[in-house]
Amino acid sequence: MQQPGFFELMSFGPGGWGQLMLMGAATTLALAVCGFAIGAVFGSLAAFAKISGGRIARIVADVYTTVLRGIPDLLVIYLFYFGGSSVLTAVGHLFGRDGFIGLPGFAAGAMAIGVVSGAQHAEVFRGAYRAVHPGEIEAAVAAGMHRMLRFRRIVAPLVLRHALPGLGNVWQIVLKESALVSVTGVAELLRQAQVGAGSERQPFTFYFAAAVLYLVITSVSSLTFRSAESRANRGVRRA
Amino acid sequence: MSFAFFQETLLTLLPGVPLTLELAFLSTAIGAVLALALASMRLSGVLPLDLFARAYLFAFRGTPLLVQIFLIYYGLSQFPAVRHSFLWPILREPFWCAIIALSLNTGAYASEVIRGGLLSVPHGQIEAARAAGMSRLLLFRRIVLPLAIRQALPAYGTELILMVKATSLASIITLMEITGRAAKLISDTYRVIEVFLVAGAIYLVINFVLTRLVLALEHWLTPHLRARPEGTVLPTTGTVGERA
Amino acid sequence: MSQTRPAGARVAVRLDDLHKSFGTLEVLKGISLEAREGEVVSILGASGSGKSTMLRCINMLEVPTSGTVTVGEETIRLTRDRRGQARPADRRQVDRVRTRVGMVFQTFNLWSHMTVLENVIEAPIHVQGRPRRECVAEAESLLEKVGIADKRDHYPAHLSGGQQQRAAIARALAQRPEVMLFDEPTSALDPELVGEVLRVMRSLAEEGRTMLVVTHEMGFARDVSSRVVFLHQGLIDAEGAPEALFSGGGSERFQKFIAG
Repeated sequence: MQQPGFFELMSFGPGGWGQLMLMGAATTLALAVCGFAIGAVFGSLAAFAKISGGRIARIVADVYTTVLRGIPDLLVIYLFYFGGSSVLTAVGHLFGRDGFIGLPGFAAGAMAIGVVSGAQHAEVFRGAYRAVHPGEIEAAVAAGMHRMLRFRRIVAPLVLRHALPGLGNVWQIVLKESALVSVTGVAELLRQAQVGAGSERQPFTFYFAAAVLYLVITSVSSLTFRSAESRANRGVRRA
Repeated sequence: MSFAFFQETLLTLLPGVPLTLELAFLSTAIGAVLALALASMRLSGVLPLDLFARAYLFAFRGTPLLVQIFLIYYGLSQFPAVRHSFLWPILREPFWCAIIALSLNTGAYASEVIRGGLLSVPHGQIEAARAAGMSRLLLFRRIVLPLAIRQALPAYGTELILMVKATSLASIITLMEITGRAAKLISDTYRVIEVFLVAGAIYLVINFVLTRLVLALEHWLTPHLRARPEGTVLPTTGTVGERA
Repeated sequence: MSQTRPAGARVAVRLDDLHKSFGTLEVLKGISLEAREGEVVSILGASGSGKSTMLRCINMLEVPTSGTVTVGEETIRLTRDRRGQARPADRRQVDRVRTRVGMVFQTFNLWSHMTVLENVIEAPIHVQGRPRRECVAEAESLLEKVGIADKRDHYPAHLSGGQQQRAAIARALAQRPEVMLFDEPTSALDPELVGEVLRVMRSLAEEGRTMLVVTHEMGFARDVSSRVVFLHQGLIDAEGAPEALFSGGGSERFQKFIAG
């Protein structure tokens, strides 16, 4: 029996998996964006704690980053997926709802990615803050700007400029981490490829297609970040 | 959350440690050889080699490790040619597929670390070696490689830690290392938090020990970067030499 | 110390009509020079005059675009690569010649992962294949000679600039070279450390070593060398015994140069 060729399989017509694969890719992007955003929030909080927090805040932030950088992401995903379901079920019981309440894989995955990438975000922000020339901040103080204004107009933009390369790296990591969320059954790209591979019995074809799509996404991301970096660096003299 | 359960969990997960370490060390070692080759290709000045290395890096750093693992473990079995080859006994084993995938992956990342190390060797010291009549091979062996390794060590230590974490993906293709055992325990007992805590703690201990070992290695290899030994007296001005 | 050497002494280094271009910039425009055994040749000139480039052509750290380099009896064979760039025809010949030529660099270039002693014995053992015991013994006496015997187990980073340069001189001497090349050996040193290095170089000259020294130290050029060569824009502008040149001889450009 003739096996369907690559392009037939990946087509958009009936019997073709092209549309589903692209939807998987879109889900991957959505997962990554949510995870990245959550991570940015956690990361900025942790960085803030490390830079100007009190002793307890700093210790908590240090523990957070050390732990999350030392344990596998997969474990954290399991924690949120299975643990999240347990928590939801328990909460449901409190409110009289019996039975199992599952935490949707997408939510679990995004939160797990968020928590893990938060540790990396923290290091990026902390490094970027240290890279800012103290003189520029001093000038803002001398000009009479109060803290909030200073942060909004001077500190944040400068930190962001220095953070761009690091953030680009974290984004690439988050993109690839999203593939791990496939274990929760979420129909992101890898899971979609798995389904297709099982259905058509052509694992190589589907995983190869998935790999190509990942490459497209990471390449476009990389180009985007690089152009953002060069725009942010206009007016800056290269050493 | 009973102590007995923690103990039980520990005893269930610990047997997975040897496999985790085996996967991590073996693939790091193979990956290092690959990384050295790739870095040399990029620095060779030979365009086809450089392009190949860059294409390799692009492919392996632009796709998730899990996809690479699936391609090798599940994907290769699609081809009858592979199934009937003499390599099949190896390629059908999850362990070897994991090793291959992990090695190919770390080879890509580590090659940039090594390349950075090779580029960091001060040009003057290379010139002095050439002026002393060293052949290219001798120069590489005695001067470039030792200095490159010392420079690359901290970043390579980080890569080793990342490798330990990456071994957890092997659990998805049925290998019973730490995470594999943890996943099974969770699905059997639904005691997620406890299992997570114990498994996480085991990984943290492993990574702590490895970090310390790498630091010790760094310390041992770089007496030349440490602070001046006590009692070293710098000469004060003697007679001023001839001046124009 | 400015006597000329016996005229019958053999030629240690000969440069014939050397040209060297970096891209479109021609740095050496036809240099011919002969240094006999036992001579101490000081090479002077402004920045960009080509003096370091000329010195580095002797041991092929720079490959001349045209012209020949002869060390002792051996002329280094050159060829052209696919892009028309000049390069040595036989790498092994170059390596062999380099072991007969000792070089001291402006930036010392000691190997930072080795102790001073290890630096000094490295080439004798691994390039020249001499037995370790002999190399260590000779290294220790050389370190004694340059005055840093007590630093043998220290790392270069823990030495002052003057000590590092003296170690570098010992390292070059350990090769038992026929010719010693010095590329601005004191230019990177703090003023108070220049003297100790010049003293070592002076004692080498007094031993009768063949030395070619690119330097800005006029005192050394005047008092220690047997011949002075003045380069200007890639050509030899003035040449001769120090007494002659430093007392108003040589070219007008040379007089302007030493006047400062």
